[in-house]
Amino acid sequence: MQAIDLSIIYVTSFAILLVGYLTAISSKDLIRLLIALELMFGAVFLSLIPLFYALPDPAFGIAILTIFTSSGELLVLIAAIVTLDRQKRNVYTSSVTIGGDKI
Amino acid sequence: MLLLSALAGVAVLFSLGVLLSKDNFYSSLFMAVTLVIVASVYAFFDLQPVFVLIVFIFVGAIGIVTVALAATYRFAPERQVSVLWALPVIITALILGFSVYTTQLAYAGEIQFALGEFITPEYLLLILFLTSLIILLMLSVLKMGVEEGGRS
Repeated sequence: MQAIDLSIIYVTSFAILLVGYLTAISSKDLIRLLIALELMFGAVFLSLIPLFYALPDPAFGIAILTIFTSSGELLVLIAAIVTLDRQKRNVYTSSVTIGGDKI
Repeated sequence: MLLLSALAGVAVLFSLGVLLSKDNFYSSLFMAVTLVIVASVYAFFDLQPVFVLIVFIFVGAIGIVTVALAATYRFAPERQVSVLWALPVIITALILGFSVYTTQLAYAGEIQFALGEFITPEYLLLILFLTSLIILLMLSVLKMGVEEGGRS
């Protein structure tokens, strides 16, 4: 892998991660938050590619681990969104009043 | 390098579509396309097993459920992040890219990965544990849903 390829991969990963982060902090509803999280996981997958050059087999193991755990996490979030909708009759982030800290 | 740059540029453009779109449905579609392009970068480096995993599991299952949810809840957000944020993002990305380019982190040669060599008892055990984790997660979510249904 050439240094320029590595730069392209890291810059793209960073840009997608930042866009996902900006989407997450500007989201007014949980669906957009879910979309932003998936985008951020996409950036994480992209940043794994250089690891395949140094350690191919562990990198594939890490990729499987990341894909499975992120999928499980997002599935739980989808179930939580459906449950919130049944309870509050909307999916706005302002409806989530439990948890978090006040600054 | 040209193809990789094109893929990367298109991925960033589609991800910007997620941020700038006013409709959740279109945002989710842009997100799905971005993830497919990310998977295509893996295919570009001859890592087809990861391409299949991302496209089939992450986009095919989770992404489509997200698209379906977004099609149901098509909200128009009141306000997005200021476009002025783009400037520090671009500057930081350029600094990051330049520093990676100049520090010579790259390994020479091709990726030496073969799926046949990966399938060892240790990794099969890992996959078995992860599948069990997903099943346990889904069972707990199902239990939560059943309890919620019983209450209402």
